[in-house]
Amino acid sequence: MQSNPDEMTSQGDPGVVRPKNELDKQRPLDGSFLRLNESTFSTLSSMSVLGVLSACGSDVADELAMPLPAPSTAINRLDLLTSNAPNGSSPGSLPAHISLRVDVSSVAATSASTAPVSTTDANALFNWAEQQYPSLFPGVKANLTTSSYVYRYYPETKNYLGVGVSGSTVGNVYVLGPLSGGVLALVGTLQGFACQVSGGACTLTSANDAARFLSQATLGYTRADLNNLSQTTISQWLDAQFAQPTSISYFSWLINNGYDSSGFENSTAGMDNVVWKKLISSPDVLRQKMVQVFSEIWVVSVLGINASWRQFSVANYLDVLEANVFGNFRTLIEQITMTPAMSYYLTYQGNVKTNPTTGSEPDENYARELMQLFTIGLLNLNNDGSLQLVNGAPVQTYSQNDVSGLARVFTGWSVDTHGLTAPYGPIYQQRPLVQVSSKYETGAKTFLGVTIPAGTTAAQSLKIALDTVFNHPNTAPFVCRQLIQKLVTSNPSAGYINRVANVFINNGNSVRGDLKAVIKAILMDPEARDLSLAQQSNSFGKVREPIVRFLCWARAFNANSATDAWAIGDVSSAGSALGQSPMRSPTVFNFYRPGYVPPNSALSSAGLVAPELQLSDETTVAAYVNYMQKAIAGSGVGDLKADYSLLQAIASNSNALLAELNTLLACGEIDAQTLTNFKVALDTISVTTSAGVMNRIYAALTLVLACPQFIVQK
Amino acid sequence: MNRYIQMMDNNQSRRSFLKTTAALSLARSAAPLAMSLASMGEASALTAPAGDYKALVCVFLYGGNDYANTLIPYDQSSYNAYQSFRSNLAISKVFLDPTVLNPITPLPGGQQYALAPELAALMPRFNSGALSVLLNIGTLVEPITKAKYASGNANLPPKLFSHNDQQSYWQSSSPEGASTGWGGRMGDLFQAGNAGGSAFTCIGLNGNAVYLSGQTTFQYQLTTAGAVPFNAVNSSLFGSSSASAALKAVLNTPRTHLLENEYLNVTQRSMNAYSSVNQAFSKSTLSTSFPLANSLGDQLQAVAKLISVRASLGVKRQVFFVSLGGFDNHTLLAKVHPGLMQTLGDAMSAFYQATVDLGVANQVTTFTASDFGRTLLSNSDGSDHGWGSMHFMLGGAVKGQSFIGTPPVLANNGPDDVGQGRLLPQLSVDQLAATLGNWFGVSAQDQLSVLPNLKNFTLKDLGNLSAT
Repeated sequence: MQSNPDEMTSQGDPGVVRPKNELDKQRPLDGSFLRLNESTFSTLSSMSVLGVLSACGSDVADELAMPLPAPSTAINRLDLLTSNAPNGSSPGSLPAHISLRVDVSSVAATSASTAPVSTTDANALFNWAEQQYPSLFPGVKANLTTSSYVYRYYPETKNYLGVGVSGSTVGNVYVLGPLSGGVLALVGTLQGFACQVSGGACTLTSANDAARFLSQATLGYTRADLNNLSQTTISQWLDAQFAQPTSISYFSWLINNGYDSSGFENSTAGMDNVVWKKLISSPDVLRQKMVQVFSEIWVVSVLGINASWRQFSVANYLDVLEANVFGNFRTLIEQITMTPAMSYYLTYQGNVKTNPTTGSEPDENYARELMQLFTIGLLNLNNDGSLQLVNGAPVQTYSQNDVSGLARVFTGWSVDTHGLTAPYGPIYQQRPLVQVSSKYETGAKTFLGVTIPAGTTAAQSLKIALDTVFNHPNTAPFVCRQLIQKLVTSNPSAGYINRVANVFINNGNSVRGDLKAVIKAILMDPEARDLSLAQQSNSFGKVREPIVRFLCWARAFNANSATDAWAIGDVSSAGSALGQSPMRSPTVFNFYRPGYVPPNSALSSAGLVAPELQLSDETTVAAYVNYMQKAIAGSGVGDLKADYSLLQAIASNSNALLAELNTLLACGEIDAQTLTNFKVALDTISVTTSAGVMNRIYAALTLVLACPQFIVQK
Repeated sequence: MNRYIQMMDNNQSRRSFLKTTAALSLARSAAPLAMSLASMGEASALTAPAGDYKALVCVFLYGGNDYANTLIPYDQSSYNAYQSFRSNLAISKVFLDPTVLNPITPLPGGQQYALAPELAALMPRFNSGALSVLLNIGTLVEPITKAKYASGNANLPPKLFSHNDQQSYWQSSSPEGASTGWGGRMGDLFQAGNAGGSAFTCIGLNGNAVYLSGQTTFQYQLTTAGAVPFNAVNSSLFGSSSASAALKAVLNTPRTHLLENEYLNVTQRSMNAYSSVNQAFSKSTLSTSFPLANSLGDQLQAVAKLISVRASLGVKRQVFFVSLGGFDNHTLLAKVHPGLMQTLGDAMSAFYQATVDLGVANQVTTFTASDFGRTLLSNSDGSDHGWGSMHFMLGGAVKGQSFIGTPPVLANNGPDDVGQGRLLPQLSVDQLAATLGNWFGVSAQDQLSVLPNLKNFTLKDLGNLSAT
């Protein structure tokens, strides 16, 4: 290897071999070295990075302070740091399926923070990256600095990892090398990575950071909730939420409130009440969020339960969700499968085996939707959610034969009425299903490449079937992508999906399906926590669905039903209410599809989805504002009343009033100009009377709840 | 060095897939479409003559309507087959006596059908020549035979038997994720001709459906009671007209965030359309009675009202979309399906009467559609997802009292089904759509871009709609 004398090290001896993994914190950076580099800069800067690298010998390259490109030339690759997919690439090679989901053209290279970078923070990031991505950043390396960066270089992989330290790019995290295709890539910020780097031992001190976190993790939060979050770390908050006991069960509340009296046997009476009570007031906020999220993926709707005591059926279903959303996904799917509610909704209640005489075959409904909607989806996926293509075409996960074969597993299951005399009270809706052996298909069952031998018991058949869909490689990305869409952003990057899916596959302790770990991974991921991404992207985030907008208001102000009646009712009306109502989805496909794209839109041109916008049409956008305008004033929502005492104390100052609403509802997203416009209008409402004070508060709430900065959660 | 590879993500690749396989002809034909639009101003073939008005009404039955209990074989040998395969779901023959259909041209071999008993309201419509029945129609890419299907090499619509994808395929010739439907694509061609009211070209009464989305046309959503205003924009906001103005302003100020701005687009369309729609709607003098407690009837009544005020809306060509849910009868079919048939028949019959009363019977054509048909065989108390089905066309221009297509053999894995009596369609949705389009005034060339699969079918018009 020829060494160019211009590229000699400061030691002046090109032959000195330095061990590549030597931790050298005392590496001298004397003036001669710096001068040498500055004089070579003009030569080197005109070469491509590859040209420079190939010109250096391997034992010289790690001595050379590379002329890293200026930060302003960085391109954005927020999903670039991707763990190797377990079913894909080999260590050290570039993951085969990186795709860009974030609209990078709009993410500026300037950082959100101007605080100087501490070496401790930069080292924490570097050390974490070396542990997390050893195939990209192997071993522990020394810090190197230029005027623009503090960075480390990994000669084994020829990758750089650095943090901007000056000017407008301070705190930005960059990579450069084969990892990034040879271009300087912005992959995030120290602020965005802090949560994951610290393993959750980070505190969100900025109100907007805290508000964003609570918007993602809950159905709404008060000023006190924000203050409490700023006194604790993320992992402490999450662990406390995981440990929080459940509040009164849905089923018990219905009994306690007399909904088991015979007049209610064939109505939905009580269901809306108990569901609203829980969604609005149950203190286990993360659990309530996850129940609401799962109820829109594993859909059961009271509209499709043709049985007595359907409100109890739904109540039990929700109790089962509450008991399992912090458990294991495998347990969750089995417990859900054994609920009367699901068996009624997807019609395998009393499902009968093949009858060769009549030709009747088992009902296929649950077999199909279990695969299509609840576990593996329709098309084969890579772990990052991208489609697997064969000869350029996607591949279907299952055929009609698989559906018919799997349907045979869901035979014989029936509601458990033993010990009861007809007409049954609601208790049977709470019992897991039991087998009626005369209806159970004892023959062999073949689906998804698995054959359950003839003679296998119903319980064992069920176990094999659920194990099969649980372990299918599609399940992790299919489920995780939807969870990310519901908590954080409608268009997650492939890297985000891959990172979370990997946690689903293995929580770090060789357990698959650990939902606590998945929830943590979603909320602690840099893509969720990075404030500059959220503020500067024109597509990050998600539209809040109408139910969630209502709940954000209700929880922000501790809305309460003093009589415990929670008589808000069915708000499905598109013309006069929210256009959707909990547990009243029109079909098993939920109120909106995960892949919905508004036609003729900038979103469709950009290849982005906006699932919740499927609910927004010319009717519902107006009806929503009309409904909220009344609800905030306690009209049309039973005896639900918000506590506006904190707002009343500041209402005489429109700026303060709007600032509080901005934080509590819109995470600080409402821009200064809009706030000024609102303030000018609110100032025309006199606050000399208590009625005037309330009018100003109501007007302010309506403005904020209607504005697009609140409608879209970022 | 590893090369940076950018692969399409889930949705992008799916969209690319759709673009290349299903809608590429749309892109290729963009030029003729653009030329058509550009030539609007010069009295092209697509500009409707003064006084000319036509409307298409799609009645979508969500969930997959059970064909075998909608149109029931009545001649004895066919009925025997029906009864034996249907077992406990079969309707007793005696109940079918009142609804036996006598077409102008009898079916070959003495075959006969009866409507479901609860569709009795459609009998006079059939007998007066306003109703035509389509036999064994479904989603297809190209004509299919049983042998081709069994070979595994057939070119099939993707994701057969999946609700959401087949709903989308019926409406747009693409699976879920499609951005335009053939109703909207037809609307695109006539939007410019609806000079005063191009925003009202495609109107839905029951939530977003891809059917009505065009490349330039937006579907406009109404309730059965008319358009919904922003109360706080139309009057003061808690006593403050300034706050009301601030609300209006924030809902009309564009945003750079794509999600925010798309939300605002809908908001603006809502505000802009409200007063013209409701002024027109309130002037309707429609007096035809519609069935009570019938949600399809309510929607069709609203459609009839809108048609009655078409002059004030300034429209000459409109596409409407109404729908009814609850057809996914895996269970309790015998209990639930009759009620659905009652709702469907009563609502459609009343709507036809409304068009007669308004003097536009020949100018409004209604058709039914659904995700798919279902199995013939019972699953002990219901039927499962199928494919081909029976559908209706209704209107003064329909050459009714007729059957279109060949009666399928009802069997289990017979010549016309792919197992359990799931019919293998012999008519395609595209052929129905093209028939409607020809009547509507879509040129033969534009048909090919509106319906990407139409080129695969020799018969491009079912022949049961009069041109004028």
